[in-house]
Amino acid sequence: MKCYICAEEGKDSDAVAICIVCGMGLCREHAMREETESWEGGYPFPARKLKKSIPRILCPACYEAFHS
Amino acid sequence: MSLLKRCVAEIIGTFLLVFFGAGAAAITLMLASGVETQTEFNIGIGYFGGLADWLAIGLAFGIAIAGAIYALGRISGAHINPAVTIALWASKRFPTGEVAPYIIAQLIGASLASILFFACTGPEAVLIGGLGATAPFHGISYTEAILVEAIGTFLLMLVIMGVAVDKRAPEGFAGLIIGLTVAGVITTTGNIAGSSLNPARTFGPYLGNTLLGGSNLWEFFPIYIIGPIAGALIAVFLYDWLNSE
Ligand SMILES: [Zn+2]
Ligand SMILES: [Zn+2]
Repeated sequence: MKCYICAEEGKDSDAVAICIVCGMGLCREHAMREETESWEGGYPFPARKLKKSIPRILCPACYEAFHS
Repeated sequence: MSLLKRCVAEIIGTFLLVFFGAGAAAITLMLASGVETQTEFNIGIGYFGGLADWLAIGLAFGIAIAGAIYALGRISGAHINPAVTIALWASKRFPTGEVAPYIIAQLIGASLASILFFACTGPEAVLIGGLGATAPFHGISYTEAILVEAIGTFLLMLVIMGVAVDKRAPEGFAGLIIGLTVAGVITTTGNIAGSSLNPARTFGPYLGNTLLGGSNLWEFFPIYIIGPIAGALIAVFLYDWLNSE
């Protein structure tokens, strides 16, 4: 797969990731990586934040929509 | 979450349970104050709509419990009941060192609820409503009261196991189903021994009555320690046995 954004700009670069929201193929430069914390447990036990967060890859447009 | 924050959550959760649940029982007695009931078994709760009075009280408990579970379940686990804490500890699901702090927090929350309920409603809450304290009804023996409290708490704990502790439980239903279970148990067994199912729920109104000039009911307190804890323990171990390979 090729990077969608690069393709729009007339460049031809291989995709290294896919946006989890819209499914867009993304090159290294256009992939936005975000860490999401995850929790386990809950009623009737206290919830615990897991030591490691889970990565989430977004394209710039979806990233911006989530953070607006 | 620190132990302190979790204990604060237990205080708030048990407060909600006793303020709104036991409070509903006290208000029902205040509403029925002065009526002549046909038998001594009817102390006024049931005067308006028979079991519907108990369903209303049960739902007041159930909705408060559901709210506490959804609001505080992730913080402390929202046990809001020493019998639940002890059963989870006995089945090695809860650390030994945290049992006493949790129970103390639950007793504090229940006591605050009774005192603040009095602060909201005045002396009638104690003199007529008894702060919603539980006691065996007319003609119910000590042993019968222990038995019915054990059976009621058995069902409560069995449902907690099935709808929350079990990893296969459906997500998100715990508060709703546990609240409704308590409401159902109270509807049937409320007029037998008060359907406390919870030593803290009985402790708060008992202490409130002692401090605020109500009747002394402490002779009945062992009913609400032995019954609920026995019922919860049987439920936990039976559930684990039923689900073992
Ligand atoms: Zn996207
Ligand atoms: Zn690109």
